[in-house]
Amino acid sequence: MKAKAGRKGLTLRNRELVWGLIFISPWLIGVIFFFLFNLIQSVVFSFNNLIIDQVHGGFDLHWVGLRHYHDIFFIDGNFVRELFESVGFMLLNVPLIIFFSLFMAILLNRAFMGRGLVRAIFFLPVIMATSAIEGSLELIMGIVMGGVSSVPDDVMRAQQGFDAQSIAMMLSQFGIPMQVVEYIIEAIAMLHSVIRAGGVQILIFLAALQAIPPSMYEVAQIEGATGYEAFWKITIPMVSPLILTNVIYTIVDTFVQSDVVATARATAFQNVYVLEGVRGFDFGRGSAMAVVSSLLACLVLMVVGWAISKYVFYYN
Amino acid sequence: MAAITTGRRAAHQPVKKKEPKLAKRTKRLSRSTSGTVALFAFLFVFGIFTSLPIILTVNRAFMPLDELFLFPPRFFVRNPTTSNFSDLFIIMQESWVPFSRYFLNSIIITGFGTLGHLIFASMAAYPLAKNTFPFKDALFAIVVLALMFSPVVTGIPNFLIISALGINNTYLAVILPAFAAPIGMYLMKQFMEQIPDSLIESARLDGGSEFFIWRKIVMPNVKPAWLTLIILQFQALWATTGGVFLRSEELKPLSFAMNQVALGGVARAGANAAVIFIMMAVPVTFFVFSQSRIIETMATSGMKD
Repeated sequence: MKAKAGRKGLTLRNRELVWGLIFISPWLIGVIFFFLFNLIQSVVFSFNNLIIDQVHGGFDLHWVGLRHYHDIFFIDGNFVRELFESVGFMLLNVPLIIFFSLFMAILLNRAFMGRGLVRAIFFLPVIMATSAIEGSLELIMGIVMGGVSSVPDDVMRAQQGFDAQSIAMMLSQFGIPMQVVEYIIEAIAMLHSVIRAGGVQILIFLAALQAIPPSMYEVAQIEGATGYEAFWKITIPMVSPLILTNVIYTIVDTFVQSDVVATARATAFQNVYVLEGVRGFDFGRGSAMAVVSSLLACLVLMVVGWAISKYVFYYN
Repeated sequence: MAAITTGRRAAHQPVKKKEPKLAKRTKRLSRSTSGTVALFAFLFVFGIFTSLPIILTVNRAFMPLDELFLFPPRFFVRNPTTSNFSDLFIIMQESWVPFSRYFLNSIIITGFGTLGHLIFASMAAYPLAKNTFPFKDALFAIVVLALMFSPVVTGIPNFLIISALGINNTYLAVILPAFAAPIGMYLMKQFMEQIPDSLIESARLDGGSEFFIWRKIVMPNVKPAWLTLIILQFQALWATTGGVFLRSEELKPLSFAMNQVALGGVARAGANAAVIFIMMAVPVTFFVFSQSRIIETMATSGMKD
């Protein structure tokens, strides 16, 4: 270990460092340009009023210090409530999504006919969550639910995506009794929203399950372990690093889709209707909201990540 | 070897363990049959429900117009026709950018974006997972922060940097940020940490260069991970409409064009059905293809302890 590493005259440690830098740098440069820069710039914007120059293009910044932060906490009546609601919703949903996706992944990892197709079906909600497909599905919904005459555009647009509710509504149009349909809504609306949020996690867990060497199960089998024991002693420890990954991914994903982020984005880009009338978009204020909510989400992430990482098992 | 002998001994001298249990165990590690049936029933019902949209989509794509507007509606097509697709192509012919160009744009953006992301993310993940590296934790914290913050309110900063780099209104404006997406690096790192150190050490002792180890030892061992990663990235890039960065019509991807057709409303119901079919068929096919490649993975990687 202490000896020089031959030809290049570098110690092993330095050689690892040099190679590490070579491997990391392309990606790191990209992160600095496309992500870190955004982050720093947004923090700067949150201390300024950003006024777009309509005539010459470009924008001017006017330093306002902590005013935006003061405003969102003490003047805005909704932000703080929305922030905590979003985080609460996140904390409720994350365990649900994680358990469900692990369960689904274990089911889908078993050998059966048409496994690839079944997996694709469970990944569908992720594929469908794209604008072109959602727009088209809404149109179909409109036509299916009312025929041509009752599909004014705004009615169709009022439909938010293609959710369990609309599928169930459609079923009732196909002649299935309303009671049955309502029951299906109740039972599946929950599951459907979970699977909609869990498609990616299922895939990650599937990859984790496939990375477990089959020889481990073989040994367990020969040694006389039951399936239950094998699950707790092999499957769970081996996928535990990916449980951590998935928890973090889920927290980030639910946060990105939460109300508070939507509000921040709307504040930054859209005209907001307030009591005094229409207020133009306020990028500085939106940035401040984004900074505050991201910091809180990061705090949650750190606490949860730290708590889970104590139980994570690494093979080495 | 030790494992096998103890197993045999237990079979010959049934001291603690019962015979019938052993006989059952030789089949496979699994729960009771009724449990399996229940699980698959659940999978089946749930699968049917989740697949309703795709069944509907496929059927509607091949319905003639009169069946599309039939009320009460039908799930399954009676007289399949391809007229919806020819309608779509006729609509697309009227636009001055041909359908094939949109398709090519999507292929370029999705292909290069996915490939570059995979290569850069997994190269960066390797030293972070397996080498000693200063500021590793700090770097990682930055990644998570970026992951959290990037989609929120970065419209203007994003536009500034893309313009400053001079890649506004080129494919690169969409492809380059995709290269550096933090999620891929994170995922790859988690999987690479699972690879036994001894495997990499032995390759180093045999004189393999770091690049060789990455390419020939690390990557094959995390094949399920990167196959998952390309599915995620492919899906995300296939869905992108280019936003404000692709302003020239001849650079816009297929999803943008399809969106426009869908906005045509009821008058384009037929073409619209064909649109969803096409937009869905590509990622689903890609998904099924790459998932079928995953299964072979572990059979090839060997590690003798």
